[in-house]
Parts: sequence; C-alpha cells; structure tokens
Amino acid sequence: MTVLTRGAYGLPGTSLAYKTGNWRSTERPVHVHAKAPCHAACPAGEDQQAWFAKLQEGRAEEAWQVLVAANPLPGVTGRVCPHPCQNACNRKTMDGALAIHNVERWLGDEAIAQGWTHPVAEPAPDAPVVAIVGAGPAGLSAAYHALRHGLRAALYETAPEAGGLLRSAIPRTRLPRHLLDAEIGRLLSLPGIEITYRARLGRDVSVEELASDHAAVCLAPGCQQGRAWDVAGALPSDHHEGLALLREFMDHGQFPPASRIVVHGGGNTAVDLCRLMKRSGVQQVTLITASGLPGPQTAPDDVLNVVPRELDEALEEGIEIVPHATVNRLIMRGSKVIGAEVASLRKERGADGRTRRVTFEGTERVIDVDMVIPCIGELVDPEGLEPLVDRGYLRPGDTWGRLQDNLYALGDARGDRGTVAEAVGDGRRAAEAIAARLAGAEPEADDRGELTAEGLNPVYYEGAPRSTAPKLAVQQRGFDTEIEGDIGRAAALAEAQRCLSCGNCLACDNCWTFCPDNAVIKTVELATDGSHYLFDLDYCKGCGLCADECPTGYIQMQPERGP
Amino acid sequence: MSDETRLTELRQKFGRQPAAPDETTGAEPTPREAQPRFRGLESGHRACQGCGEALAARLVMECAGPDVMVANATGCLEVFTTAWPESAWRVPWAHSLFENAAAVASGMEAAMKARGRNTKVLAFGGDGGTYDIGFQALSGMLERYHNVLYVCYDNEAYMNTGIQRSSSTPHAATTTTSPAGRERMGKRHLKKDLLSIIAAHHIPYAASASVAFPQDLQRKVRYAMGIDGPTFLVVHSPCPLGWRHESRLTINVARRAVECGLFPLVELERGSLTNVMPIRDQRPVTDYLQLQGRFAHLFGDDPRAQQKRDHLQALADYNVQVYGLTGAGPDPADTGGAAAVGRSGVAAGRR
Ligand SMILES: Cc1cc2nc3c(=O)[nH]c(=O)nc-3n(C[C@H](O)[C@H](O)[C@H](O)COP(=O)(O)OP(=O)(O)OC[C@H]3O[C@@H](n4cnc5c(N)ncnc54)[C@H](O)[C@@H]3O)c2cc1C
Ligand SMILES: Cc1ncc(C[n+]2csc(CCOP(=O)(O)OP(=O)(O)O)c2C)c(N)n1
Ligand code: SF4
Ligand code: SF4
Ligand code: SF4
Repeated sequence: MTVLTRGAYGLPGTSLAYKTGNWRSTERPVHVHAKAPCHAACPAGEDQQAWFAKLQEGRAEEAWQVLVAANPLPGVTGRVCPHPCQNACNRKTMDGALAIHNVERWLGDEAIAQGWTHPVAEPAPDAPVVAIVGAGPAGLSAAYHALRHGLRAALYETAPEAGGLLRSAIPRTRLPRHLLDAEIGRLLSLPGIEITYRARLGRDVSVEELASDHAAVCLAPGCQQGRAWDVAGALPSDHHEGLALLREFMDHGQFPPASRIVVHGGGNTAVDLCRLMKRSGVQQVTLITASGLPGPQTAPDDVLNVVPRELDEALEEGIEIVPHATVNRLIMRGSKVIGAEVASLRKERGADGRTRRVTFEGTERVIDVDMVIPCIGELVDPEGLEPLVDRGYLRPGDTWGRLQDNLYALGDARGDRGTVAEAVGDGRRAAEAIAARLAGAEPEADDRGELTAEGLNPVYYEGAPRSTAPKLAVQQRGFDTEIEGDIGRAAALAEAQRCLSCGNCLACDNCWTFCPDNAVIKTVELATDGSHYLFDLDYCKGCGLCADECPTGYIQMQPERGP
Repeated sequence: MSDETRLTELRQKFGRQPAAPDETTGAEPTPREAQPRFRGLESGHRACQGCGEALAARLVMECAGPDVMVANATGCLEVFTTAWPESAWRVPWAHSLFENAAAVASGMEAAMKARGRNTKVLAFGGDGGTYDIGFQALSGMLERYHNVLYVCYDNEAYMNTGIQRSSSTPHAATTTTSPAGRERMGKRHLKKDLLSIIAAHHIPYAASASVAFPQDLQRKVRYAMGIDGPTFLVVHSPCPLGWRHESRLTINVARRAVECGLFPLVELERGSLTNVMPIRDQRPVTDYLQLQGRFAHLFGDDPRAQQKRDHLQALADYNVQVYGLTGAGPDPADTGGAAAVGRSGVAAGRR
C-alpha cells in the first residue's frame, strides 16, 4: 500500500492562510455610490436611478414612494417639467435617453388611480410649526417636506385654491385639472398641514407676526407683478400683458378679439399664449424672442427657455418664431397698434465682460398686427415684503433659500428660478435647512461626484429602443383634452428596464463572477443592490478587473490608504 | 515552525467541512462560506493580478464540482494553486507531470469505474501541456473513450517558465523564444487549429470558450459534464504578464479576441460544427492587438507591421467565414446579447 508522505499533499482550501491582499500596492476597489446624472440634473432632487431600480423589479408602489421622497407632485412634473434629467441621461450616448418624464407621469397617475398614500407620519402635536406664504409648488413642497422632517406646516394663500401658476396659468391641455386637484388634495390632506385660504401677506398677515409665532417662515409668493413694458414710450389703449391674458382665459375661456398678433418674449407663458390664441382663431401668430432656437449653432444658455416638447408642438401648430429678435417700436394709428417694428438682436459680451443685448441697425422690418403682447416675465409683488425685495426679487444668498436666520425664500420669488421642479426642490431644501437649524446643525449638501457615461461599461447593456407616448394630431388639439398621452404600464416598465443604473450597483454579479481571486463575496441575503457584495481585502490583489467590468461604475479603484 | 504544528494549525483553521447536512461544525458560516456557489478553487492562490487562467479554472470548478476530481498538468495553474503545504483546491486533485495529465486522468477514471463510483474526472492543462507536450496523452485518452472532461487553459504560451512560444501562440506575437526584432515580427508560424484535430477523434463534444463570456463557458462545462465519454474544452485565458496588458483589461482583451474573430467560440459534436457564438459587430483585429504589449511591434514604423496586421485580419476573417460567425441581426446569444446584464443577474432570456 502506498503511503502518502507529508511532502505529497496539502489540505483542501488551505491557501486561505496566505493573504494575497498584501500584494496590492497602489489601489484597492471601493464601492462608490456616485450620483446618476439624471439625479444630479433634477432640480426637484429626485433620484431617478433609485426609482427605476424599483420599477425594474416590478415594484411600482415602492418606486413611487422613492420618487415622492423628493417630489410630491410627480403627475405635475411628469407633464410640465422641461426634464433636464432626460437631457443628462447617460443612455443618450447609446440608443437614446430614457423617457424619464413619461414614466414619472405614469407613476404619478398610477398612484392616483391606485390611491397610494404618502408614507409620512403625523408630526407630534407640539412639533415646531413652519409658516409658509403661498401655496404654489414651492410652498406646497416646503409644507410636505416639513412633515417629512417631523415639523408641522401652516400655509397662507391669498387665492381661494392652492396650486399657484399650476392652476392659474398652465393650460389644461398639458396639465389636466383633475390630476392637479388629486395631487394637491392628497398633499394637503396629510395630517400636520394646515392651510388658510384668502390670507394675503401684507393685508391679513405680516412677516413679523409669522416669524414671531412660528419656528420659521418660508416666503413662496411667486412673481405676481408684470414688468413695465414700454416700447419707445408708446403703449396702446387696449394693452394686454401676457400672463394676465392667460389667467383671464383660464377663468373665462376667452381672449380679446384679434387676427394677427405678435407675442414678445421667450418663456412658457409666451409659447402657451401663442398656441392657445392660435387655437382660438387668431390667424397669424408670431413670436419674437431674443433667444435662439435649439440647434448646433445655439449655445445652451441661449436656447428659448421652454419645455422642448412644447416648442416642437408650437412649430407643428404653425406658430411663426423669429429668434434673436426684438420689438423695437410699435406703429400706432391713434391709440391702436397696427404694426410692430422688429429688428435682429444678439446677446454680446462687452469689454467689461458683461453680456448685453445689441440690436443691429439695418435689420428693421415691420409686421402688420392688431395686437402686441409682452410676455417678458414678472417680479415679486412687494406688498408686505418691502424691506426684503431687492431689484424685484427676494434673492436669498444660498441654495437653502436663507434670507435671515428663520426666514427663507423659495420658488420663482427668488429671482433665479422659473420651473415647477426648481420650486419643489426649493421647498425640500428649505425644510431641510429649517430642520437642521432647529436641531442646532447646518444642512448638508450632497457633494458626491457624478457618474458620467465614460464611467460605465457599455458592453453589458443590450440595445433597446426608447418608448414614445401617443399625441393628439394638430387638428384634434383644443382647450381641454391633454395633448400628450400616457405611455401605459407596459411601456413604462420596459422603459425602466433601459435604465443603466448609473453609479449604483444593479446586482449583476459581474464583479463576483469575474474576480480571479474570489475576493468579491456575495452574501446570501436577498438583495438587488450593492449590499449584496463585499470585498475581501485579505485576498484582493488590486488587479482592477472588477472596476473595469462593473457596468454601472459602482466599483472604483482608489489609492490605498497609506500605512 | 515544524511541519506538524503548521499542519495542525491549518487543520484547525480549515478543518474538514461537514460531510452531511445533519452534521455541523458548530460554527456560523462566514460570508465566504455562505456564498451561493461551490468554491472549488479558493482564494490565496498565487496567480498574478488579473490572471485569466485562475478565473477560468474557478469558473469551471464552480459548475463542475463538487463531485469531481482533477488531474492537473504542470504549469501556472498547478504551481500557483498548490504552494506546499497549502492548496487552493477543495476537490481531490493530483499533479504528476507536464506531459501526462490526460493519461493520469484516464487512470483515475478507470479506478473510479473499478470502484463503481461515477465521480467525474477532469484533466487540466495549459496550452503547452495540451497543444504540445501533452498532446499524445490527450489523443490517447480521447481515442480510448475515457469519461473525462479535458480543459485546456489557453494563455497562448508557456507562461510558467517565462513566456516561451507554444504551438498555440498566435502568429506575430512576441515571446521570449519568438522575439520581435530585426529578423522577424514575432512568431513566424500560425496558431495550431487544435479543435479540428480534437474533433477528428469523433468525440461527443469539443468546444471553445472564453473568460469574457462566463455564462457561455459554464453552459459548455455543464453540457460536457452531462456526457458519458471524452469531452474537450479550450478556454481563452488572457495572461496579463505574458501578453503584456494591464491586469484590469483581462476581460476586455478576451472579449475583443472573440469579437474580432481571432478566437471563435464554437461547439463540435462528433466532429461536426453544431453551434457558434455569432459576432454582433465584428471588430478590426487592431482593437484586440493594440491592448497588448506582445503585439506592440505591429504598431511601429516598420513596414512589415502593416503586413502582419493585415495577415492577422485575414486570419480573423477566415474564421468568421469558415465558422459562419456573422449573425443575422441582434440575437440574445450573440457576442452582444451574451454579455448583457440586468438587475439581479444576466439579462439573457428575460425579454
Ligand atoms: C404660462 C406658464 C407656463 C408655465 N409652464 C411651465 C412648465 O411647463 N414647466 C415648468 O416647470 N414651469 C412652468 N411655468 C413656471 C412655473 O409655473 C413656476 O416656476 C412655478 O409655478 C413657481 O412656483 P412658486 O410656488 O414659486 O410660485 P407660484 O406658482 O406663482 O405660486 C405662488 C403662490 O403664492 C400665492 N401668493 C402670492 N402672493 C401672496 C401673498 N402676498 N400672500 C399669500 N399668498 C400669496 C399665489 O396665489 C400662489 O398660489 C410656467 C409658468 C407660466 C406662467
Ligand atoms: C517535461 C517537462 N519539460 C519542461 C518542464 C518545465 N515546465 C514547467 S511548466 C512549463 C510551461 C507550462 O506552459 P503551459 O502548459 O502553456 O501552461 P501555463 O504555465 O502557460 O499555464 C514548463 C516548460 C516540465 N515541468 N516538464
Ligand atoms: S440611464 Fe438611468 S440612471 Fe443613468 S442617467 Fe439615465 S435614467 Fe439616470
Ligand atoms: S477583481 Fe478581485 S482581485 Fe481584482 S481588484 Fe477586484 S476584488 Fe481585487
Ligand atoms: S459589477 Fe455588477 S454586481 Fe458588481 S458592483 Fe458592479 S453593478 Fe454591482
């Protein structure tokens, strides 16, 4: 019988006694949850990657809960947001950005249809109360987030209903009122939020009063006062300002009669007004704007500031747009306008480094019109806010909206905002800052890096075309029915599968499968994220392979911490 | 420390696993032990950083084990897994010589048969041990129809002794015995078409696989494990040291070899081609070559460089043509689809 001597065998698995981890010289793998670009770009602060992850598992309600942790109005933003998230989406370098917007809307609608409720507990009866002036998206978001921080909220709204411009200005064809009512109703019914209607700051309450009986005061009155518009001194007797026309139309369903109009301006108000007036029978609608149309020739900050889809639809509907132009003067017959002199214009950088608008001599032309409508933006109505208004706005010094210790400014009234998502984000940040202040701390900004497309490994993503939503044909568009339709459950879930999970583990097992040293350990718990994987640095040799083959960029090689 | 103390220490640390479910060691399993896969080849082995061969062997063990035994030829795999008194293997494993892995496996298989056991025998060898010195033992094993799965870890040179050319080294690659220089642009001869020779033995199953496509590799192992008779798998296993590429690039290099056509993934049953992994978008061979220092001379000013690149491209195109590697549009099993992942695992078969 052969006898095996000790020189001839080893015991199974005993190589574990030898820690190859000390071979690593410069770098070790580290799990890094970087910001997905969609999240980094979202003014409301949504983490789209996180809610897509839930949808990928078919958990729609959990996805909605993750979403509303940042934004309580997804049905609204899913319809009206200019979706910078989508413009930032890494998948645009492959086969098209995700239709984030449409999925957000679908989730928002699904929540209403299914009656999902916010997982927010009622604050303690003696919890500090935050006073909020204005129940537009900024004020509503502040109230909601105050609750999430365990605070109570008292809203003061001058109008008889909440919603701000969402209700008073944005056309129903892109924001149906039943949806708006449902989302706002759900929010306002949360225990811990009180709202007083027809309470006007300046008339019924004052900042000082509010500040003295509340833990903090948020000012979210939006911008209610039209800017002075004066074209070489001439103003027609029947002058109408854009936002006022829109509001009137929302209330009474009528525009003053006209057959050829020029709208002067370059935002959502201008485009909405053009489209509604065209639909209501105005034959010729011309938009004169100082901005440019999107295209390779136009710098991003020079593009007409509207939701991209709205611009496309406006052009489809036959709105004529004259970019990089201004209305120089009105041609009057008596006190009635009969023409507008238009000239080319550009924003040019001067010797002092500041940009200003320069009109080019010799480019003047006259358009025959019977109405010229300025849509050049609004300023904060200073009533009750006199000492705080600075050149038309509240202009807080930081992203938290801090004006003074316990006084915050949010939304359009800040002067550097202009979208619903930004208003929602402001509400969230203000609530966070207030909660931090009450706890004697500073609010903390999320300064994680962003995971750009170069950080992904595209090999591991199968191609999949982007889903599209149905849309009403131009002839079918009216004043009530929504123009863009719902993408539906199947397309929403398919779209979620396209998400690359930028910067966050998707539990693909690549690192676990590929590590030549079994230094990636997979846990047995059920998990679909990075909590599933551990690095066993006792054996990791630092080859960097896992980081290269991680599709999502969740593994990064970082310098060894020195001895 | 005496051998005896060292052995006792190792035994205490890594003592025998429970033999049956009702027998316990008493200790809570560590996260490493609790992993949901068979750990046939453990950590602590001495392979280089990013070693393709270590990865390939682990992938094979994972789905072949636990009821297997291994005969391993001399070479890197044998050396880096068994630094006495330790072993990285957790299955019965034997090493005898460089040239005889298939013969040793044949004997092990015969012994198992005699004992009425159906433990599957695996034979492992590098390309030197398979294409070259162990070739006659392999041919004999196949011809005698032993129930053995032979896996060749093809790193395209004798790596363990310092990067000498083998008959598997690709044309124009530089090695210490086929150096690029004034006389020649690396290896003068062609990579041996081993798979065709193996197939000529008319065995039930012979296939090629790559570490870049682990699911495909493991499917092939499982298929071979299910066959009663000789089967053969050659796994393309990049060697960062010998191929002179960054250790992090192992998978990328392996993937490109498949995507350019130089390393076709094919399956042959009884000598006939039965399946291939279609290439979704064929890459130029230069995409593959330029990642590796062993082909660096093909990118210099030398006028022969272009000719060599063209030659390698022609060889890749030849593979694509003879094996029919051009797919008919995207396919979940082609080079694009086979790589796809989704949340919680591989995407293939989901849609
Ligand atoms: C026509 C139009 C279309 C638009 N389209 C889009 C779009 O598609 N996408 C997008 O993102 N954004 C759009 N916007 C911009 C968007 O509506 C605003 O950025 C957003 O509503 C700002 O929210 P806010 O809460 O700051 O202000 P607001 O919505 O203006 O709300 C302010 C609230 O404060 C109340 N209030 C005002 N003064 C007082 C006071 N003194 N006391 C008490 N309450 C007061 C008001 O009644 C109002 O309810 C559009 C705007 C307009 C005008
Ligand atoms: C008969 C014999 N000749 C030479 C050697 C020396 N030797 C040991 S390993 C080896 C090379 C192994 O190369 P390969 O089979 O390709 O495996 P790799 O190390 O590349 O994995 C050589 C030549 C030997 N062990 N036995
Ligand atoms: S792919 Fe997903 S995570 Fe990445 S940017 Fe787009 S939506 Fe965000
Ligand atoms: S692949 Fe394994 S050995 Fe290489 S860096 Fe990652 S964990 Fe470490
Ligand atoms: S490779 Fe896959 S499982 Fe590993 S960290 Fe990256 S995403 Fe997660």
